[in-house]
Formats: sequence, C-alpha cells, structure tokens
Amino acid sequence: MPHCQPEQLALAALGEPLPADAAAHLVSCGDCRSEVRSLQRAVDAVDVPEFAASVAPVAPPASVWAGIAAATGVSPAPRSEASVVTAPPPPVAVAPAAPVPDDPPQDPPAGGQVLPFRSRRPRVLMTAAAALVGAVVGAGAVAVLNGSDDAQPLTSVALDQLAEAPASGRAEVVVRGDGSRALEVELDAPALDGEYYEIWLIEPNVVEMVPLGVVRPGAQSFELPTGLDLGQYPIVDVSVEPLDGDPTHSGVSVARGVLES
Amino acid sequence: MTGLLARPAGDLGSVAGVTSDREPTPQGAEDPDDAEIGRRFAAGEEQALALAYERWAGQVHGMAVRAFGPGPDAEDVTQQTFISAWTGRARYRPDQGPLPAWLSGVCRHKIADTWAKRDRMRREAEAAATQAQAAPAGGTTPAVDTAIADRLLVLEELDRLGQPQRGIIELAFFADLTHAQISERTGIPLGTVKSHIRRTLERLRTRLEVDGAALPA
Ligand SMILES: [Zn+2]
Repeated sequence: MPHCQPEQLALAALGEPLPADAAAHLVSCGDCRSEVRSLQRAVDAVDVPEFAASVAPVAPPASVWAGIAAATGVSPAPRSEASVVTAPPPPVAVAPAAPVPDDPPQDPPAGGQVLPFRSRRPRVLMTAAAALVGAVVGAGAVAVLNGSDDAQPLTSVALDQLAEAPASGRAEVVVRGDGSRALEVELDAPALDGEYYEIWLIEPNVVEMVPLGVVRPGAQSFELPTGLDLGQYPIVDVSVEPLDGDPTHSGVSVARGVLES
Repeated sequence: MTGLLARPAGDLGSVAGVTSDREPTPQGAEDPDDAEIGRRFAAGEEQALALAYERWAGQVHGMAVRAFGPGPDAEDVTQQTFISAWTGRARYRPDQGPLPAWLSGVCRHKIADTWAKRDRMRREAEAAATQAQAAPAGGTTPAVDTAIADRLLVLEELDRLGQPQRGIIELAFFADLTHAQISERTGIPLGTVKSHIRRTLERLRTRLEVDGAALPA
C-alpha cells in the first residue's frame, strides 16, 4: 500500500490510532515511522500531566493576591476566596470525555489536595484497545510490575484473533525469582509452512515496537528487556512473518491484546 | 473562526461533574460574563484583574499545585502568572479566545520556567561538587536538559500561532481531544482540523530543529 497521508502521520504523532490499513502500513514502513517520530518531538515536549487543562481548582492563600496587588499597583480586590474556588475551569479544560472527579467540585479540596488527573496516554490506549479488540487488564498490576521484586504472576491479557487466521491465546507478565520479567505466552494457532509467528510489544500509536522473538503454537516464555516500560509498549502483538530475512514487522498481525497502562 | 474558543460562558463549565458549579447570576455591572472580563482586562481596567482573579485564580493555582505541591513554589507560580498576564495584557486578544485559556497558557510558561530554573540550579550544584572533588569526570553535562528546553520552545512557538491553529493544537495537546472531538467541539470541518494539526506540528518540528538541541541519532 502507498505511504500514509501526511495528516495521518501527524495524528499518529499525537497518539491517535489510525485506520487499520494505515496502521498496518505504518508498522512496516520505516519512512513513515521516522516521519511520525520527527513530528512527535514537539508532542512529547509538552506531554506532561502538569500541563493538562483539566484540573481541580485550589484556592490560593490571601498572600498571593497581596503580592499581585503590590506588584501591579491595582487597587480593586477580589471579593471572596469562596468565589475563587467555585469558578469553572478555563474553556480549553472542557473535556467531554473527562472522568467524573471523585469529589464534587462544590467540595473544594482542602489544604491543596488535588484530585486525580488523567494523563494523555490512557485515552489513546483505551481508543486503541477498542479499535484493536484487545482485552484490558488492571493498571495496578502493571504499576506493581514496574518497580517490584516480588516473584509472582502479575497480569495476563487475552490475545484475540485479528484476522481470518484462527490465532488466539493468552500472555502473562511474571517477575521471576532473580527479578527479571518475562512474558509467558500461550498461543493457539495453526502451524505455518514457509512463515513463522513472531511476538512484539508495540506502542499505542504503532510507531515503536520491541520484537520479543519467534513464537510457536503452544506455551513459551520470553524474557522482557530490563527497563522496558510496559506502559509505553502495552500492545502484545503476534504477527506472521515470511522467511525473507527482513527483521521488521510484516504488517500482518493475527492476534493482539492490550495491557492497560 | 474566531469563535473557536470564545464559547458562550454557560458552556464553559461542562466538564462532567462540574456542570452546576456556578449559580446563574444576573449579568450586570457586578457580574460581567467571561468575555466582558476579557475585554476589560485587555483594555487595562483594574477591576478586571480582580474579577479575573476571583474567577480563575482557583484554576491557575490548581495547575501550580499539581506541578509543585502546595506551598511557596506553587504560590509563586500563581502570583507570577497574574502579574505577567496583567503587565503583558497587550498580547492578549479577546477576539482570539477567552481569558482563562490564555491564563492557563501563561501558567504553563511559569511552570516550565520554574522547571528550567531548578534544572539549572541542580546542574550548577553538580558542577560545583565535581570541581570541588577535582574528579576527572569524563562526561560533561549538557547546558540544559533537552526535554526542558524543548518544552520552553514549544510553548513559545504556541504563543506565536494565530487562531484557529492555536486553539486546535491546544485542544489536542492539553485537553487530550482527538481530531474528531476537536472538529465536533469547534464546528471546524474534520479535514481542516487535520490539516491545521499537520501544519502546526511541522512548524513546531522546524522550530525545534532550528533552535533546539540536536538529538542523539
Ligand atoms: Zn510509508
């Protein structure tokens, strides 16, 4: 298929999932991926939760206004602290899909306590999950995984059939006794002739991916690279690769699951 | 197109769960609507600074506290945001978007400036420590962290964008909306939103390539 449209590559840089054909092309095209990466530098630069428009208001102490009045020489003063807290968020903050805060805004957080805010990525992830029919597992499990030495299975994800080929299975993240992490994979799929299955961890926007290795029908274990952030590569993907010596993803995915970040 | 972010005031608080936070009040001289405050702020009317503080200091301080926790750093960011907004009010164009969105932008600058300042201080302290120990440290630390520098450049370039480009990219960056949601929200056709996003990201890329640090290959 031809290269992705320039607009699609920009959307991919923002973390939006692409239509299936464009996503498949992106997976296998180095040119398109490097274009996405170059556009992504600006996106990443400001992709910090501290910049999100949606935020729980916190009333500043009276000394803040006093400093403003002193610096500007402005004499009228705001009427009350209460009205400060109950003001609506700025317009850019308006996000129809935003989750309902745990506390009602009429009950402003005391002492500067802030409500949980959402980061950009989970939205992308959920959209990707919906589009890719991935099963989603708990966020807590992955969080534990990233910083813990506990030797126990942490999370598992169903690998759902994507294409005509009847391939499905499960993947389970475990921490082994020596602290290393592994992906235990159980693949239920027909044997191939002249092709093979390969398993990957992929970013939500399908730009960067980590090959874990050749996978055969049945049960196998793959060590996860040290320091690999599963939150960044949550898509567990099984592809069919031709025996062509090309180490990049063929673009033919047959089963997938998505770990929730 | 200038209507992009200049939504009617009643529509502004429609985040789920934040719909009923303001009592409908008669909008006389005592309670001007958001757009009115924006116009008066731009015109340099002192009362408008107090009104803007009354209405949006909670949001600004919420951002500051989220970044630095409650305390002097957050309070300083909030204070600097309003002082800069007031002294730089000539740069605020009421017809280009509502005041609270602009205040949020100023607040992001202050947060990013504070990060850069901390980073610089940390590096200076490290450099001093290294010199004191006369350690033959092989690697010299770069002048400033690339991510922090990139962040400042992107925020600066956003300030130079006109509307609707700026509003569109800010909805994508900071409100986390998809291009389809942005189109729905603003009434700007899908194709137009997409091409603005593309051109804006190209523009930001160019800015980073020209003024930013070279990235390791
Ligand atoms: Zn391509």
